[in-house]
Amino acid sequence: MEQPNSLILEMQSGNEKAFFRIYTLYSEALFGIIYSIVLDEGVAEEVLQDSFIKIWDNRISYNIEKGRFFTWILNIARNSAIDKTRSKDFKNSKKNLSTSNFVDILAGSDNLNQKTNAIGIKRFVDALKPACIKIIDLLYFKGFTQVDASKELKIPLGTLKTRNRNCINDLRTMVLG
Amino acid sequence: MTAEEIITSGKIELYVCGSLPTDETQEVEEAIALYPQVKTEVERIEATLINLAEAISPTLSALVWTYILESIRKVRTLDSGSRTNWAAITGWAAAILFLAGIFWMLKENNNLQDNVQVTTTENVILKEKVTTTESDLAAANEVLTILRSKEYNTYTLPGNQAVAPEAFAKVYYNRTEKIAYIDSKGLPPAPNGKVYQVWSLIMDPLTPTSVGLLSDVAVIEGGIYKFENIPDPEAFGITLEPEGGSETPTLNQLYTLGMVTP
Repeated sequence: MEQPNSLILEMQSGNEKAFFRIYTLYSEALFGIIYSIVLDEGVAEEVLQDSFIKIWDNRISYNIEKGRFFTWILNIARNSAIDKTRSKDFKNSKKNLSTSNFVDILAGSDNLNQKTNAIGIKRFVDALKPACIKIIDLLYFKGFTQVDASKELKIPLGTLKTRNRNCINDLRTMVLG
Repeated sequence: MTAEEIITSGKIELYVCGSLPTDETQEVEEAIALYPQVKTEVERIEATLINLAEAISPTLSALVWTYILESIRKVRTLDSGSRTNWAAITGWAAAILFLAGIFWMLKENNNLQDNVQVTTTENVILKEKVTTTESDLAAANEVLTILRSKEYNTYTLPGNQAVAPEAFAKVYYNRTEKIAYIDSKGLPPAPNGKVYQVWSLIMDPLTPTSVGLLSDVAVIEGGIYKFENIPDPEAFGITLEPEGGSETPTLNQLYTLGMVTP
């Protein structure tokens, strides 16, 4: 998917319509990421709202010449969600949610997103190696740095890179056909 | 590094996840700019990850966008809306009014002081007038007293037919105290450089004695002159003389002449 640079530039100049189109393009993905962290729909909506308000407020600080727009907003959403899980009222209302990952979410619920390819992904991730699930969860959904992830998984950096690539490659063959 | 090496290194996947350290991020970005196939690879990985995240996303309520739009518009109106600070405006207006008031009062005060000064000057002028009028009145009273008293006799000096037939002068003479008042009202004004001189005369032999000049020195009241220490005269005469007067009367300039014998 090519990055919609002209839309991003329009949004950066303050165009609300462009911002809405960007919201349409990315809100579901960010919602999935946030939900995988806070594991509560209401809280996830709250965090998604905050994330897009932050994206709007800081829209000038993103540079299309440097870095992917998706990576930039992914960081904002992940950090907002992680901040939320550290807040006092969140800790008081939630018990332990550390064990859940994206595969658990996919497996545990049938009334998630109605997207047709969700079914396919579900079937595929069921077959994903446990090592892949862990790597993708840490690096993509939890936002670990490669150093932190290699420490967490107790594997060398090079191995982490290769394994992550292979896992995403497997996923990709299935998702994009 | 070649495009293939970058693609197989596993760095691109980490780059899209935002997990690469700064130096390796820069390396990937340089490769993206250099090799189109690296850019395509990045886009594919990104699409895969977006799909994965979308797959686990619960149904998103349309209210979320409404809330976001409301929030950014609220912030915007707060930022750009020119909120009127009535307290400050009122304060400034009051200060300006206060200053204007002070200037107005200063101006009024100046005007009043000017008025006082003018009035004071007018008072001084009026006082001078009163003083003048009072002294005039005193002089007139003095003259009137003299004219009414029995010690003074009144004589009219008729005009000399040859020189000034219309002219005349009145003399009020106190023989006991040898004081005479001369009223010059009946004389024409003395020409420039000339002055009227009063003489007392003994007729036989004709002896003129100068009594004095009708000048400011002797004036008592408009046109009335006072002379003292006059020797017993039989007549008074008035001649027109050069300024400063003469030793003897210039008889062809004799304006009036009259007897004052009792």
